[in-house]
Amino acid sequence: MEFIGLYPTWFEPGVGSGWIIGIIATVHVLFSHTAVGAAIFFAFLASYAHRNDRPDLLEFIRRYGLFLLVFSYVLGSITGPGIWYSTTVGSPRGISALIHNFVWMWATEWVFFVIEVIGVYMLVYLASRVDRQTHLRLSIIFGLTSYTTMLVIVGILSFMMWPGKADWFTDTGVLNGFFGANTFAQLAMRTAFMFTMTAVVGGIVAAGFKDAQFKRDVARKLAWLGIGSAILGVLFFRWYMATLPETATLIMSNRMPEWFPIGVIGMLVAVAAYFIMTLLQPRALVATGAVAMTLVVLVFGLWPGEVTRESIRKPWVAGQYVYSNQVIGRDVPGRGIESEIPLLEEHGFLRTMVFLPEHLREVTPDNAVEAGHALALAACSNCHSLTPTGMRPLQDYFTADSDIDAIVDYLHAGLASGNTLYMPQIPFTDDEAFALASFISTLTLPVTDTGATVDATEPMAPTALVRSGVEANAGADSAAGSDTAGEAPSVETSGQPLAALVSSPVAPREMNP
Amino acid sequence: MSPEILYALRDPAGVPTQPWLFLILGALTLALHLAAVQVMLGTGALTLRGAYSQSSHWRRLAAHMLTTSKIAVSVAIVIGVAPLLFVQVVYDPFWYTSNVLSGWWVIGFILILIVGYIALYAFYWKNHHLASEGGRSGHWMVLSLALLLLVGYIVHALTNQMLFPEQWMAWYAPDGNIEPTGRQLHYSHPLRFAFFIALSLPVTGAWLLGYRRYQQARPDADADYIAWLKPLAMRLLTLGGVVSVILGVLWMLTLPEKMAWFALSPWSVLALAALLVTVAFPLLLGARIDRGYWGYATFGVGAVALIVVCAVREVLRYVTLVGSHGYDALDYTVHMDWYSLLLFLLTFAVLGGVTLVYMLTVAWQAGQTTGRYSPSPALSWMGNLSIGLLGLWILAYFAIGFYVWAS
Ligand code: HEM
Repeated sequence: MEFIGLYPTWFEPGVGSGWIIGIIATVHVLFSHTAVGAAIFFAFLASYAHRNDRPDLLEFIRRYGLFLLVFSYVLGSITGPGIWYSTTVGSPRGISALIHNFVWMWATEWVFFVIEVIGVYMLVYLASRVDRQTHLRLSIIFGLTSYTTMLVIVGILSFMMWPGKADWFTDTGVLNGFFGANTFAQLAMRTAFMFTMTAVVGGIVAAGFKDAQFKRDVARKLAWLGIGSAILGVLFFRWYMATLPETATLIMSNRMPEWFPIGVIGMLVAVAAYFIMTLLQPRALVATGAVAMTLVVLVFGLWPGEVTRESIRKPWVAGQYVYSNQVIGRDVPGRGIESEIPLLEEHGFLRTMVFLPEHLREVTPDNAVEAGHALALAACSNCHSLTPTGMRPLQDYFTADSDIDAIVDYLHAGLASGNTLYMPQIPFTDDEAFALASFISTLTLPVTDTGATVDATEPMAPTALVRSGVEANAGADSAAGSDTAGEAPSVETSGQPLAALVSSPVAPREMNP
Repeated sequence: MSPEILYALRDPAGVPTQPWLFLILGALTLALHLAAVQVMLGTGALTLRGAYSQSSHWRRLAAHMLTTSKIAVSVAIVIGVAPLLFVQVVYDPFWYTSNVLSGWWVIGFILILIVGYIALYAFYWKNHHLASEGGRSGHWMVLSLALLLLVGYIVHALTNQMLFPEQWMAWYAPDGNIEPTGRQLHYSHPLRFAFFIALSLPVTGAWLLGYRRYQQARPDADADYIAWLKPLAMRLLTLGGVVSVILGVLWMLTLPEKMAWFALSPWSVLALAALLVTVAFPLLLGARIDRGYWGYATFGVGAVALIVVCAVREVLRYVTLVGSHGYDALDYTVHMDWYSLLLFLLTFAVLGGVTLVYMLTVAWQAGQTTGRYSPSPALSWMGNLSIGLLGLWILAYFAIGFYVWAS
């Protein structure tokens, strides 16, 4: 028998693996953008200070440098590998795809990391011990290397979403995967954001200056930087959206929590208002205000932004050929990579998965729930929590009155054919669909007006579940639970009757690569 | 796990260059990573030892070692990224399985590292006048060292779990029940871990010899302090070296059965010899250690020894996986990608080489200068060259990028 190389699954039952990955990624974006933005701002300031003979600005660099070092650089440099570590356990085949395509690009970025680390310490420790020219050179080197790290990673992130050129699938060279419209739009957007962060976080340090005139100067500079970069950021964001495939736009308008756009717009308005305030009244620049702004950007800007970016590439997790659930769903002829879907259609998961206890390879009435659990782990849990907490709990998508047959119908109609736009094609065999449905009915499903709850405190034998399901339900189409039907519009590509099932409001999505 | 299954786990994308290059770079960068880790742990321990001492020499040493340790953590982390990258290229089935099986700890690694690092900074903030006033709030430093050690222990377990595919299924589904939370570390070899950690002693000894030589070159060199450093460095190097070698031998004696061949192989003998040469080196140098650049040579020899140890460690892994499990890390399909390979080599050797030499020379000379330091014109020219190369790199990125995008 041929195997498909699915790894074991890591499943965190409490917070959920997706949230953990998401939090690390968001924190990293905050720190890394701040660090890069500040590095470039420093290079500019050092050069200005040097040309205009302003030692006070060098003092600013020294103070903010120490702050930058501790606040953003250190945390950025740890959370960077942190994203990597967390995606390793959350989406091993996704990260593997990126690494096997772009290892040398990453190694190139690593060279810049090394220069950056040495640079940041030298800037701080040698600030008053080397001549100005040398300090200026170090600032420029540090600023430029910080930016080159961004240049490299953005190409890889874009590939994750969408290979640069359409012919990458046949001509799989790094260049074709790395560069495309999306790469440059994303780069522009991130660059703008990086300067916004510089302006916001720079305020925390500038607030501490005693010299009122100097503080006013710096506050003005930061305010203009903040306003300018925020406006550019909005424009670049529109450009970025225009480079995305149509599915992404659909998912974006249908599947994201309602507060996201409001949050982001609110955040932008707040940022603009804040900078206009500090521009008109530099004394209003106080540390607590700047810290509060940082948190506003984090919660209302970065979190929705990151979550959205992660979601809109669904059902893919890397390069439009590795599905979120780690199955390879498309041929990549240039690399001799073949879709695993045909093999799954023929033999199913249970016979082809590597990490499965032997007694679950055949579904029997006795092991159906357990086999279903194994299937849910492998095929669903990457995006759906199997417990009531965490990300998009699976149980929220079914109701207590959906019986096993109805769930089986849904699994075949909604997933086997790949009809659900943002979910992978998941071809379960009949036995497997039965097993998974049996497992799903053991979850604490929401009760509907007419239905009885399935008692899920103890896993039940499948026969009992079928029976309770039959008693509780009113026909196959009732799988579309009445509490979910008719809420968010469906984005199915075909008019499956079960559409409503998959169109309930979703929680923010996970952050796999 | 049969070879067939291990190969099924392998990424079908193949690799962009001959796999041996990744193995070599992996071993090389791991050696650098371990050197930084060992300096970080050793200087951290010296900080703690010296901070509370009555002796002003000890306190002065503590102050310097604290700065070293703080920088070494950053360097250890950043260099650790390279072996992290390369190990996933040629050992993906093993690395990913091992990580997923202990997913909770993999996340914990990051959180623990953050707290460990912040604890180190907390100690630093409390101790701006360590040399004159002595240490304060030592619990931060103890906490930091403990957490950093724990981080190392996690990586150690992850690296070792890779080597036991025959256990993976039992770890993932004990008694046939899947346990996906990844809350356990499943395998460790305490003597192996102890060996790598104990190497901090001789590595730090060699580092201190270099530090001592560097102090000698300062215009305000303090002969008394410099004389005091020597026996300390030698003790760390020789006694620590012997302790490490004993732990290494014990590790060899307790290797799991499938690796037992390694203990008496030429490989382990080679590593042993490299370590012993490092320990003996300053003794061979005798009085020459105070002449010319010889004071730095021990650390250089030690670095070579570390590279040998890491290469030999790689042999153990490679042969175990190919011999006992039928998985050959060298037989990946190669889809040569010249662009990215050349980009890396040029960036590494030319841009990285010039820039790092410039920066490190400035740092080095500035540290030996009293008052404000100005580099020589030639060195400054090199700084300008670094900036020029970076500019060129960015230009090339956009030129090539736009060309590809447009075509
Ligand atoms: C700062 C605390 C750290 C300590 C004390 C530490 C210690 C160690 C030790 C003792 C080993 C050898 C394990 C063995 O072979 O048994 C090791 C290997 C390794 N470390 Fe670290 N480490 C630290 C941080 C890091 C970080 C932050 C990274 C990644 C960015 C990293 C990446 C690696 C990798 C990838 C290996 C194994 C490579 C391989 O198996 O080929 N380490 N580390």
